[in-house]
Amino acid sequence: MIPNIRRLAGYLLLAFAIVSGGITWWQVADAQQLASRPDNPQVIAARRSALRGTIFDSRGVPLATSRVISGLSRRTYVDQAFSHVIGYASLRYGTTGLEAAFDDLLTGRADPNPLRAVFDDILGRQPKPKDLTLTVDKRLQDFAAKQLSGMSGAVVAIDPRTGAILAMTSTPSFNATPISGDPNSATAPMAALLASPDKPLIDRSRQGVYTPGSIMKVLTASAALDSGAITPSTTFPDQPQEETTGFKVSGFTIREHDLGALRPALWPLSEAIQVSSNIYFAHVGLEVGAERYLDYAKRFGFCSPLTIGSGSRTLSASASYVTKRGPNGGCSPFTDKVELASAAFGQAQVNVTPLQMALVAATVANDGVMPELYVVRDIRAHANDPSRGPTGALIDSTSPAAGHRVISSQAASEVRQAMVDAVQGPLGRFYAGSGAVSLYGVSGVSTAGKTGTAQRSGGLAPHSWFVGFAPAQSGATPAIAVAVIVEGGGAGSGKAAPIGGQVMAEWLKLLSATP
Amino acid sequence: MAITWRGTELRLLLPLVVLVPMGFALAHIVAAGKPDPGPLGLALAYVALVLGAHIALVLLGHRGDQLLFPLAATTGGVGLVMLNRLPQTLAGMNLFGVEVGMATTQLVWFAISLVAMVAIAVFFRDDGILRHYKYTWALAGAGLLVITFLFGTEINGARLWLSIGPVTFQPGEAIKIVLVVFIAGYLAEKRALLAGANRRIGPIKIPPLPYLLPMLAIFAIVMVMVVISKDLGIALLFYGIFLTMLFVATGRRSYVLIGLVLFVAGSYVAYLLFPHVHVRVDNWLDPFADPTGTGYQTVQALYAFGRGGLFGEGLGQGLPLISGHIPIPAIETDFIFTAIAEELGLVGAFALLALAAALVARGLRIAILARDDFSSLMAIGLTTSLGLQTLIIVAGNAKLIPLTGITFPFVSYGGSSLLASFVVLGLLLSISHRTAADEGTTG
Repeated sequence: MIPNIRRLAGYLLLAFAIVSGGITWWQVADAQQLASRPDNPQVIAARRSALRGTIFDSRGVPLATSRVISGLSRRTYVDQAFSHVIGYASLRYGTTGLEAAFDDLLTGRADPNPLRAVFDDILGRQPKPKDLTLTVDKRLQDFAAKQLSGMSGAVVAIDPRTGAILAMTSTPSFNATPISGDPNSATAPMAALLASPDKPLIDRSRQGVYTPGSIMKVLTASAALDSGAITPSTTFPDQPQEETTGFKVSGFTIREHDLGALRPALWPLSEAIQVSSNIYFAHVGLEVGAERYLDYAKRFGFCSPLTIGSGSRTLSASASYVTKRGPNGGCSPFTDKVELASAAFGQAQVNVTPLQMALVAATVANDGVMPELYVVRDIRAHANDPSRGPTGALIDSTSPAAGHRVISSQAASEVRQAMVDAVQGPLGRFYAGSGAVSLYGVSGVSTAGKTGTAQRSGGLAPHSWFVGFAPAQSGATPAIAVAVIVEGGGAGSGKAAPIGGQVMAEWLKLLSATP
Repeated sequence: MAITWRGTELRLLLPLVVLVPMGFALAHIVAAGKPDPGPLGLALAYVALVLGAHIALVLLGHRGDQLLFPLAATTGGVGLVMLNRLPQTLAGMNLFGVEVGMATTQLVWFAISLVAMVAIAVFFRDDGILRHYKYTWALAGAGLLVITFLFGTEINGARLWLSIGPVTFQPGEAIKIVLVVFIAGYLAEKRALLAGANRRIGPIKIPPLPYLLPMLAIFAIVMVMVVISKDLGIALLFYGIFLTMLFVATGRRSYVLIGLVLFVAGSYVAYLLFPHVHVRVDNWLDPFADPTGTGYQTVQALYAFGRGGLFGEGLGQGLPLISGHIPIPAIETDFIFTAIAEELGLVGAFALLALAAALVARGLRIAILARDDFSSLMAIGLTTSLGLQTLIIVAGNAKLIPLTGITFPFVSYGGSSLLASFVVLGLLLSISHRTAADEGTTG
């Protein structure tokens, strides 16, 4: 029996080792993850009394600050243009936006450096709150929010070269301060916001999902030019006729939108995008084909939720779709050619977020390379006096990622030219006509863009869309890409395009004023 | 009988004289927020009890193993320090008209258990009583099982308790020991026959039927136990003890494998039949699916492990309250290990596991040195009962297996558990005494 007992001893030792490994997993390996869960009593207790880190804009203007008053932590939000992106940190309603995504750093429960977290644990040091510096410039954010005032909509502006979010605002907005204050007095303002028919709590830039209309033609053109389905000079012989009679696809007739006084002609890409011909782009979509079209949409970020930032601390957006939502969350295949042809000009089952469309514009602007989005630039030690800016020691800084190529450089420059024509060409929908190029007082700047007028059922006014970037003249590197939506704003050229142009112009002015 | 000096045992018990009062003082200082050691009566009483048991063994001339008791007493001391630090209103009893708190109640049970340990260690130095009446023991165990089934009280969905007057008693603990004695007696007799299997089904050798039947009967008892208790933990423990003893007696892995297959099948049936088991298994698979409902206990325990980290939050400084309560139900029984892991950290948790592993190693040594098969097998069964119980509850706490309602030997709050653990210790001491007496040494 003795050899059997020795073997038993080995098995039991192994069992003790496995159990020890299990405990080590929870106590060391997974401890940070557990410490960041909002229902952890440690988190709840800490939140009630602990100072929260300050959130600054890109130039060090404080946006969210905390003070501890008689043992209870109070949060003050400075600017309602930031209510959605920053969110709120409420003792009663939990956290949203960046307050949720960076909760562990803002409360100081976590440290970006795991090694330091271990040392702090060994030395019994109390973790310190961290301050965040955003990529968003308060001046541009306020400017964009002001353009949208009185309307429901959103503006997203991205630096195409880096993926940094320059502005991201949604209207109507709300005051986050009372929600984050005394848990007992937070209920009344929250109830009012929840009851409001304008749905001010929804971040339209990330969570608003809309029919895109003609701005989708930017993606269609990108897919077609990159795949070689068309060249800029491609024409469709039947197209002039179909502009009046309609384009028959599998027995269904696709009709052109109202061209006004314009006479149909055999249009190549530039003219087709200038007049925003649905017939032309229906043909283009069919040339690309269902599988390839879906593939390009996915490469641009469709069919799964977009995220801003990387790693465990991200701000996520709703997914955008080119077809019906599949059973597992992705895009279903196109059901038939009619759906594909309609999707190619932004109708059928296409549903997009403003953030997604800004990213499409930014990708074209960045020579076909999709940048990786981020909104938090620096993580710093907490500065005691927020009014003096982010003076704490720098702990971590986001370096822009290289991004990844979605379409070829040549295809990107061809789309870019078409977009410049779309807003500035002789048949163009906006900024048209004048010989000398200027953008809202910024001279010598070409703009690329595309308007969209998203038809809605039930006789509701269409959504007004614009995507674009500037400067877009050849040789220039675009510094800003935007997407603008005005809910029920009518024609894209009416509401959204002027807002987009002014936001881009404002940014270029701010850039030249501050070297 | 002559006095036997037990110097090793005494030296190993001495650290307790400092350790336990310090633990009490530390918890009081943290709670009071000022450097005041507070009342140390309970801690000193524990030290006195432990030293008293040592002196009794010395005076009674006991020659048994000198490491077993210090290992158990240290484990128990850490447990008492933790129970003293927890809110005293979690448990307690009415002692002669006076309501006493949890730590005091546990101390009373320590006193009873230590007396039982010494008595058994001395009384069973002659093993005839155990060996010759093994079927009587088995019958007593089965009887206890039936009584529990008929008159048992259901607590947390598991019928594990018998109430006799003011005392609630867990018969599973007694059945466990009786079962070990019975199996040891049976296997010691039939060992050769079981090992020399002469029938084969495919690649698996099976023993002749007359010898297989009693084993199947034990399997049946275990499964009845599952049905009664609706708790897989106690069934896993019983079955694990049985299979381990069978393995040591026969050296056949195939028996263990067949047994495990049967157990998994039986557990699956229990999973399908009992919602109580169903919920526990689902919680085990994904406690975060319902972190505030059915997964609450598991999730909160994992948080506690996470907060503890490498070196712990310090005695009295962990286990934050939610609306005035520690948010881990059964923290003083099923989750006492989690509480220790949080406040004393991974280092403290490992130390506690090392004490348990050392106790197991010592028990196996007693089995190897034992002079006859019965004693050896009994030592295996008793040692395994302590070792497996520790492993099952710690693995349950750490979400390696579904959580089960069994206790951490010597540490968890509860009289039945403490008494049974010290009875096991007493029996191990008696076995090692026989070995030492035969050789004329002190273990």
